[in-house]
Amino acid sequence: MSLVEEFAANAAAAGFTVHRGEPPRIEGAETSTALYGLAESGSVVLSSSQEPRGRSLLPDVHVTLLDEERILPGLAELFEALGDDLPTALSIVTGPSKSADIEQKLAVGVHGPREVHVVLRPPARSG
Amino acid sequence: MRELTSPRFREIARVKLADARVQRALDESVTRLRDHRLAAWSAEPELEELRRRGHEIRMRVVDDLDGHVARFREAVEARGGTTFLARSAEEATGYVADLCRRRGARLLAKSKSMVSEEIELNEAVEAAGTRVVETDLGEYILQLAGEHPVHIVAPAIEKTREQIAELFSRVEGRRVGDSLEELTAAARRQLRETFLAADVGVSGVNFGVVDTGSICICTNEGNGRMVSTLPKVHVAVMGLERLVPSTADLAVLLRLLGRSGTGQKLTVYTSLITGPRRPGDEDGPEELHVVLLDNGRTNLLRGRYREMLACIRCGACLNVCPVYRKTGGAAYGPVYSGPMGAVLLPLLVGLEQGRDLPHASSLCGACTEACPVQIPLHELLLDLRRDLVEQGVASRLERLSFQLWSLAWSTPLGYRLSTGLARRLQALAPLAGPGRAWASGRTLPRLGRRYRDRRR
Repeated sequence: MSLVEEFAANAAAAGFTVHRGEPPRIEGAETSTALYGLAESGSVVLSSSQEPRGRSLLPDVHVTLLDEERILPGLAELFEALGDDLPTALSIVTGPSKSADIEQKLAVGVHGPREVHVVLRPPARSG
Repeated sequence: MRELTSPRFREIARVKLADARVQRALDESVTRLRDHRLAAWSAEPELEELRRRGHEIRMRVVDDLDGHVARFREAVEARGGTTFLARSAEEATGYVADLCRRRGARLLAKSKSMVSEEIELNEAVEAAGTRVVETDLGEYILQLAGEHPVHIVAPAIEKTREQIAELFSRVEGRRVGDSLEELTAAARRQLRETFLAADVGVSGVNFGVVDTGSICICTNEGNGRMVSTLPKVHVAVMGLERLVPSTADLAVLLRLLGRSGTGQKLTVYTSLITGPRRPGDEDGPEELHVVLLDNGRTNLLRGRYREMLACIRCGACLNVCPVYRKTGGAAYGPVYSGPMGAVLLPLLVGLEQGRDLPHASSLCGACTEACPVQIPLHELLLDLRRDLVEQGVASRLERLSFQLWSLAWSTPLGYRLSTGLARRLQALAPLAGPGRAWASGRTLPRLGRRYRDRRR
């Protein structure tokens, strides 16, 4: 399975709605651009050097744009790519905010976004 | 200071055992967490290799703890953060309370942190005039109820929806419905106000990264991100041993932590924070303070218990422990529980105070098998029992009985006499002593004729 397909499967399993190409139009949603994606866990990696941290934290609905070329196998490759030059806040996000603190039942949207979307953008064709 | 251990293990355990609702809640939650871990572990082909590496990484830190702590502090400070090494709980709470006073803080928002429970941070900060609100959903519920957590990763497992609705209604001054959706929305509403109004945010730390001076915070709800993003001042409190040398090592430990705690590949939010807000950042706190707590941990450095310092507080050992699964967390004490608590607490507070805990185990070894960083928990519990005897903490009666037993069974005649006597007197066993304690909840096994005699 390619990294892109592995990412898409794991992101969906983690609770992301996965889109290809075009971002969805959702009222009140805020949109981020991911620095990387992690195929192993279906996570998006967001950096405070690119955009405010609140953008992926405060809204009810959050959309992340991810270039397929930015998908890495997993955490080991992520930290290798980043080196020791880290932004103030690196957020690895894997699905919607959730909690099982009430009677062990899954509740979403406790503090962070209730609904999360990731939009996979294929590499631009040259020529 | 609050006692870290409960002096009344048996008493509290008995109350919990008799409560059918608590038994059902405990059973459901720990079984679910255990099953999720087992599924995540079996889906990871490199798991045993990861555990081995996890153990090696954590022991590398423990082997040169002073050096790692010093380098970590340098790295945090090089990126504009402030560090404070607190030798005791009082030093740690004093630092945070003083900081709140100096910043004129009225409200402190706190995400989950076992260390802050250990040092009783809330009490100290509130005494200094700053209100503290717990923001982890489970901890918030318990704070409203005036209780303490009973499980490392699932603090409020003993509370029902009806009880929670009542607590939330009291906050809003109107009735909050008891459906999961209504309760979640109410918590979001109530705590969002807290995040936005808080002057200081306090979080725990899952790992500190020595090379980069970063702190890693894992949460599923997002409160860890909230308290480290919105308030002007972020204070991170951590046990001084919770370090990994590099981000490459962090990758290994993160892969183990999520899978072992809740069966997730990663928690929903894994935040790596390196210093306070920099020029060009659009949000984030202006100040970052990292409080490293000793509070007895360095006492473990020399000797066989040092491996306990490798613990990453995932809670996996709780969920498989036949004792914890019945008694729940409260019997151990207000903070740490299960096998990791039973090993750690007597070491932090002293054997005398934690004397019941090494016995809160059947020595079945399930904890050791479940530990992602391969701490031989049941062996350490056995070692602690030995210490109880050697240091004279065990009762005289206990020591005398074992001496007599050892003496009797060292000769064939003594063995025959003692087993013969035991068979004749077994009807009396439930009336007194250990036999009575056993028989209060179980049937005593019947001693039959010896195998050797039966063959005749």
